[in-house]
Amino acid sequence: MNRAPSASVQFATLAVTAFALAFLVYPTAWVFIASLKTPDTMFSATRWSMTLENYTRLFAAGFGHNVVNSLVLCIGAVLLSTFVSVNAAYAFSRFRFRGRGTLFASVMLGQTFPWIILVTPVFILFARAGMLNNWGSMLFVYVAISIPFSVYLLVGYLRAVPRSLDEAAIMDGASYFQVVWRIVFPIMFPGIVATATYAFLLCWSEYLFSVALLTQEEMKTMPLALYIYFGENVTDWGNVMAGSALTTLPTLLLFLPLQRYMVSGLSAGSVKQ
Amino acid sequence: MHANVKGFVAFALVPAFFFLGAFYVYPFVFNLDISATDLDIFQLRDGGRWIGLENYIELLTSPGFRRVMFNTVIWLTVVGVTVRIVLGLALAFLLDSRTIRAWRLSTLTRILLIVPWATPPVVAIVVWRWILDPRVGAANQFLMWLGFIDQPIPFLADANWVWPSIILIITWNTLPLVTLTFMASLQSLPGELVEAAEIDGASRTQLLRYIYLPHLKPAIIVMAMMSTFWTFNNFIYVWLTTGAGPGTFTNVMATEIYIKGFIDGRLGYSAAAGVVMAMIMTAFGMIYLRYVAARALVEEEDR
Repeated sequence: MNRAPSASVQFATLAVTAFALAFLVYPTAWVFIASLKTPDTMFSATRWSMTLENYTRLFAAGFGHNVVNSLVLCIGAVLLSTFVSVNAAYAFSRFRFRGRGTLFASVMLGQTFPWIILVTPVFILFARAGMLNNWGSMLFVYVAISIPFSVYLLVGYLRAVPRSLDEAAIMDGASYFQVVWRIVFPIMFPGIVATATYAFLLCWSEYLFSVALLTQEEMKTMPLALYIYFGENVTDWGNVMAGSALTTLPTLLLFLPLQRYMVSGLSAGSVKQ
Repeated sequence: MHANVKGFVAFALVPAFFFLGAFYVYPFVFNLDISATDLDIFQLRDGGRWIGLENYIELLTSPGFRRVMFNTVIWLTVVGVTVRIVLGLALAFLLDSRTIRAWRLSTLTRILLIVPWATPPVVAIVVWRWILDPRVGAANQFLMWLGFIDQPIPFLADANWVWPSIILIITWNTLPLVTLTFMASLQSLPGELVEAAEIDGASRTQLLRYIYLPHLKPAIIVMAMMSTFWTFNNFIYVWLTTGAGPGTFTNVMATEIYIKGFIDGRLGYSAAAGVVMAMIMTAFGMIYLRYVAARALVEEEDR
């Protein structure tokens, strides 16, 4: 029995959906549109004058440095945290060892732990060690903040990988390390990419630790640079919009093809299949 | 246990726990130590003077602290999370409806729905600061064009509007994730169940109450809990939107810790506020572990 809703219900549903989606898409869409408009027509819906000037001015102001800093730092942190998390998630998922429950619980508590509390002590420790404005410090922080959520997601994805495959490979004499990276890795690749995307978004948009630990101009990441153009009274909207568009582009390109995997990982355990 | 199993478990877990120990545990213990001193940001190397519980007493008796707790718990967390869950449910039902499927709009709506989620929070705040701006913002232009208002409203500087505005920004940015999770749950509901109930003459309200909501319950609990600690712990939504202002009107725990430590330079006091915040979140974390995180491993064992 799949009766179609009446015409008026259909119309109302479509109207409300269109309104809701317009509300959701409009702000991001406008970032890209405004970044391509001249500053004097930027906020007008009726006057259109397109230009690349905002981007050339932004790069002339040194934004290219910030892009490179963010890219190198985030890609490095994501690769390292994914490697560490895949191994850890496999161990939690496949083996029963002493302390397994407690150790897993402590990883999960990391998810609920407020990073803001750690900024003060981490700042003091790094300052005393002379490790402010240091890529190694930032990499350490970004890997550490990504691990708990990555492990949680990966344990969920691993549940969908049949154990019989692992066991067959072990019978054939493979080591566990080989099982993880040669057998399991290709099977759960979409899940791993989705996990890495979460970690990437986390680092890409990270503001708190970078503002505390990076004080040198040439080391600043994109989120820090974006807020430099907000003045007390005057905001350079041309720079802000072009910088925002460049910050959004990579995450948008990653999320669109991956959304199905990202949702399935997050709702593991909450959605009965 | 097999010897190479032990070896692999150690190899797999030692790096992860190195990061967790060095980043979460050691700094937190160190933070307890700082919280009992008057350490100042300009005298980092001296280490500060031991003052016992003075920071905690000052914190818990300060008039500003009650405001901070109210803002964090009621506005940011209770209101913020409730709005997100309710709108997320409504949107999930809407986008999973027969009409959307009949018009073959499912794929298109999913793609559009994901856009705010794929927008990094630092950018989301930038855009909404522009939309809500009294001089150049679209919200005021639109409302004046409709004739609802004569004067632009400074949404982020007006005490009546600033909290609803912050909640709006957070909701916009996080609604897709909540909605998509609820949609995944709805799609795992067997269609025959709904059809059978409809044949038996169940009303819409009865369907919602006896079929949809019980099925959605685990997803709602997971999303409510994750949203709670994501929002409670979040620093940038308030800091980058209003800087805790106007004045200290929107000050929350995270911004209070940052302001006291990094702007006033009172690291000891800031650390004490951090310890209080950590205690609240640890209590919450225990509930989260019990209802959500434990399931991740338990269901694994059921197989």
